[in-house]
Amino acid sequence: MTTLDTLLRDKVLLLDGGMGTQIFARSPTLEDYGGAALEGCVDLLTERRPQWIREIHESYFKAGADAVETNTFGANPLVLGEFGLSDRAYALNVQAASLAREVARSFDRPRFVIGSVGPGTKLITLGHVGYAELLASYRVQMEGLLDGGADAVLIETCQDLGQIKVAVRAAREAMAAKRRRVPLWVQATVETTGTLLVGSDIAAVLTSVEPLGIDVLGLNCATGPDEMHAHLQTLSEASPFRISCLPNAGLPVNVDGQVVYPLHPAAFAPKVLHAASEFGLAIVGGCCGTTPDHIEALAAGVEKLNPPKRTPKLERSAASLYQSVALRQEPAPLIVGERTNANGSKKFRDLLAAEDWDGMIALAKEQQKEGAHLLDLCVAYVGRDEVRDADELLGRLATQITLPLMIDSTEVPVIERALQRSPGKCVVNSINFEDGEGKARKILDLCKTYGAAVVALTIDERGMAKTREEKLAVAKRLHALVVDEYGMDPGDLIIDPLTFTLGSGDEEFRGSAVETLEALKLIKAELPGVMTMLGVSNVSFGLNPAARHVLNALMLYHGVKHGLDLAIFNASKVLPVAKIDSEDRRMVEDLIFDRRADGYDPLKAVLARFSDRKASLADDRRADLPVLERLHRGILDGEKQAILADVDEALRDHDPLKLINEVLLGAMKVVGERFGAGEMQLPFVLESAEAMKAAIKRIEPHLPRESTYQKGRILLATVKGDVHDIGKNLVDIILSNNGFEVRNLGIKQPIEAILKELEAWPADAIGLSGLLVKSTVIMKENLHFLEEQAQRVPVILGGAALTRDYVEGDCRRSYSGAVLYAEDAFEGLRHMQALVSGDSVVPAPAPAASAAGEIKIIKRGAASVPLTEAGQSSWVRQDAPTPQPPFWGVRELADAPIDLFEFLDEFALVRNRWGFSQGAQSDEAFAAVLRDKAEPQLAAWKARLAAAPLFQPKARYGYFPVRAEGDALRVLDPADRTRTLAVLGFPRQGAGRRLCIADFFRADRTDVLALQLVTLGQAAADHAAKLYREDGYADYFAFHGLATELTEAYAERLHARIRRELSIHHKDLPGRALFAQGYQGSRYSYGYPACPDLEGNGPILDLLRGAEIGVHLSDSHQMDPEYSTSALVAWHPQARYFSV
Amino acid sequence: MSVKVHFLLEDLLVEAPEGTPLQAIADAAGADITFGCRTGSCGTCRVRVAEGLDRCSDMGAEERDFLKGLDAPPDQRLACQVTVQGDVDIEYLGL
Repeated sequence: MTTLDTLLRDKVLLLDGGMGTQIFARSPTLEDYGGAALEGCVDLLTERRPQWIREIHESYFKAGADAVETNTFGANPLVLGEFGLSDRAYALNVQAASLAREVARSFDRPRFVIGSVGPGTKLITLGHVGYAELLASYRVQMEGLLDGGADAVLIETCQDLGQIKVAVRAAREAMAAKRRRVPLWVQATVETTGTLLVGSDIAAVLTSVEPLGIDVLGLNCATGPDEMHAHLQTLSEASPFRISCLPNAGLPVNVDGQVVYPLHPAAFAPKVLHAASEFGLAIVGGCCGTTPDHIEALAAGVEKLNPPKRTPKLERSAASLYQSVALRQEPAPLIVGERTNANGSKKFRDLLAAEDWDGMIALAKEQQKEGAHLLDLCVAYVGRDEVRDADELLGRLATQITLPLMIDSTEVPVIERALQRSPGKCVVNSINFEDGEGKARKILDLCKTYGAAVVALTIDERGMAKTREEKLAVAKRLHALVVDEYGMDPGDLIIDPLTFTLGSGDEEFRGSAVETLEALKLIKAELPGVMTMLGVSNVSFGLNPAARHVLNALMLYHGVKHGLDLAIFNASKVLPVAKIDSEDRRMVEDLIFDRRADGYDPLKAVLARFSDRKASLADDRRADLPVLERLHRGILDGEKQAILADVDEALRDHDPLKLINEVLLGAMKVVGERFGAGEMQLPFVLESAEAMKAAIKRIEPHLPRESTYQKGRILLATVKGDVHDIGKNLVDIILSNNGFEVRNLGIKQPIEAILKELEAWPADAIGLSGLLVKSTVIMKENLHFLEEQAQRVPVILGGAALTRDYVEGDCRRSYSGAVLYAEDAFEGLRHMQALVSGDSVVPAPAPAASAAGEIKIIKRGAASVPLTEAGQSSWVRQDAPTPQPPFWGVRELADAPIDLFEFLDEFALVRNRWGFSQGAQSDEAFAAVLRDKAEPQLAAWKARLAAAPLFQPKARYGYFPVRAEGDALRVLDPADRTRTLAVLGFPRQGAGRRLCIADFFRADRTDVLALQLVTLGQAAADHAAKLYREDGYADYFAFHGLATELTEAYAERLHARIRRELSIHHKDLPGRALFAQGYQGSRYSYGYPACPDLEGNGPILDLLRGAEIGVHLSDSHQMDPEYSTSALVAWHPQARYFSV
Repeated sequence: MSVKVHFLLEDLLVEAPEGTPLQAIADAAGADITFGCRTGSCGTCRVRVAEGLDRCSDMGAEERDFLKGLDAPPDQRLACQVTVQGDVDIEYLGL
């Protein structure tokens, strides 16, 4: 017999279209409903006008639907209660399902009946209805559908994550009671805002319903097919369930006071079919505004679709009402905030005693800000009603906090109430075998019912496991119960191998940290997939706060090294290991690893060392230092606020000039050395510079007149034809905060203008900067010009495309004055210091090819690829079929991206733009920097930009018919292909593959060239300029990097769209690989190695009519405003980056 | 000690002192390898070490993280991060 499941294995299932649309087309009267009191009770029409419903089902089956949905959208006691018909719910469901069954039976091939269960009219998450009441209501409906013969239950049009979970439970319980199991389908409704009505995104929905083990998770209603793409993509990549998609016939529009759905069948069907093949949909159909004609239009295409093949990858996660959070964080660990715990936090306990719910929520929000990923929540307080407190607090917390919750209680009723109050996927903390398995089973039953992960402690009937072997043995027993018996995913089992304090000196626990760490390693190795957790701060109970701080940090650090995934920790107290004093660290590690020796007890050593230290280590220790030392540290740590008080104090007893020259500049010198040695990251350097600036501003009014701390002067400029500001501005920041006077002339400076400025403002050196390859040539021309003018002023060159060899060789030969290469701002500073001290001589040009001196070419093979008759590289194959664009000519992208961050290459941002590179740091130290600095910085920017949007992203793109002609592309007018719009010329490689961009287009027939242009708008460029003006160095640098990378992200996104439209998107790789050309074809921008000449931007802007989105070409052929980028898109599979 | 680097794409054979950065060799010899950031985070210079993987310098976390993100096979490296300790055969892949 064909069942729904067997059919789904063979084909894409076609469902019906709108039911309401069809009913209302029959204009039901009061008579039809059975009186004014019942007007609008559509579910009652099954009984009163069965012929209508029968006709509607028949029309959909005739159109080709494999299954129809019953007319039971609101047929549950709660909704029917509004018409006084609660008690009819069961009967109406039975009738509706039987009626649909009867119609289905009259068709020859297998047809199915899907029991429709709507969202109702009350939102449980917002407290409109209680859990038990909603569950009971759905239970009645589910039983009616099952008894009436429905082949599946479809919980659809879901707007509330909490409601989905209740309805799924009701269905499960009804199936158990009726001893009839049918597939359970769920469809969420994602509004145009990108979330369900209550704010959940689709990833939160997936994470939360996944443990419930349903059969289908899809989308219906709210929008047309196009608007569903991003959410379908998420499901396609991650959902283990089949995906359904029943969109509306487009976004409704209002025409003469009537709501009209704009997509006609002929427009609707291809969009749905496209989504089906693109996202691997198993079930398609329609929702509001769709008709049997829509379904008929779909039917032919659906028959041609193969059943989808996907390889989804679901990360084990927890979810709040709003978002999903992966349990495995990169870098580890996931931080579980520990302060909303009545056992651990006195503040929280006091708030609970006072029933200050808002205060408790504020404490929760604080932890969210501090960087916690999950919140541990414990309201156990002797003498209080824990169930009631959980109910009160969670009822409020669930909608106000975006972090998932860890329910921390040992009481089964408390856990159950908390789970009912939490719409997302919680973690229950915890189970153990202290009293055997009975209680653990009760809690696991709840985890299964409500779909929660669970923390399991290595405690059994004999007590807490102390050795690594005991811990592993209990862990294995926990695994057998949770994973093998209860069938939970191992990733939802979080084993806590217990942490004991090292502070007691108790002999029994001296080695306990080592045992715990080793147990982590064993558990991860022997129980693949399980997660691990530690209550890290337990390790330091009994010690003073300063010692605790360091011990906790190091225990966390070693825990992660041994396989720790989650840590209960005070997120605000995460101390980067790199910041711990080395002697402190050695001693505390001796304590952790129990390295006692004759006459040496690390515990005693730690107690002695920390005995006089106060809690907030850095500040208080600083207070004990002499003021000059404090100033030094203030610069090193970039404390731009705290340093002011120290400056004031120092000014009382010290000469202001000396303070600057000796103390502050001395500290900046250390900053430079650390940066040079790779020990300090650029963002920290900028914070130091900001502190320096603040300190100098404070000191300046105290300087004696006529005196100056300035050491020398430099004129800085980005060369002609180059708009890149950032490198030059970094040099400005570093030099001006190291006692040099800097005149920053800005970008695109012709050498004539620089020289004119030099005459008016004599300087010790000129600094030239530029990012483009072409700028290196301009620099050499500039040196020639200076030579002609008989100048001798030293010139310092810096920029990404420069090399030391080129500067010290070619450039030096062009000019008789000193020519110096600065790899970074600090090398520039060293040059300046040498220049003003007068002990520098004009360095001689390096001999030609100095670095290459010992590099000898033994053989240069004849492997140079011949050109074809058409003048193209024969390396490029011309056998791939040319794709068809969906339109010819230019369009503006109508749907500005809701979230630019979606395509952000965070790796490139953090490492390249923000300069967090590993340098000389250990892997662990670098991971800590990423975790403690880079990630919070990115999160803070996201929040800042969400609060005050600075970006007005706009884009234009288009498809043009082209023909390759040797090294050029002839761009034809799409409307009249005999007319040439432009001829784009490109350089060709001299040897090897002899590639040229034109080779990726056909010479023998018309090909398609895609062009694209994106911009973030003028406001972003203005904002960057403002930050720089106002000395917010670190902010300026971070914003500039972020905006640049988001421009790239937007371009990446548009490129992805172009690939989709050309149907060459099948090779798109997931994740970061996409940013590394993980797709078919290539996107070439002018100024990069394959087409270095910026002048090409002109024709591109003309063809795309860039002025219509406010993008213009500067004199130097670059795009204005700054955060804009254009590109040529080649579809050819062999098109990749190369350099000429 | 000098080592031999063979750039397979254009059959270019180069001799250089042991411990020379591969990017210096590629630059000096004019090999067809496109470099981007030269700091191990853009991937433009990805190569396959066809012969002599064990004669290349070890990977830093930066490069390892990057290649892991691409699911790259173990014989792939970022040319800008490699110094050459012995004879190697290099095939340019690019991004």
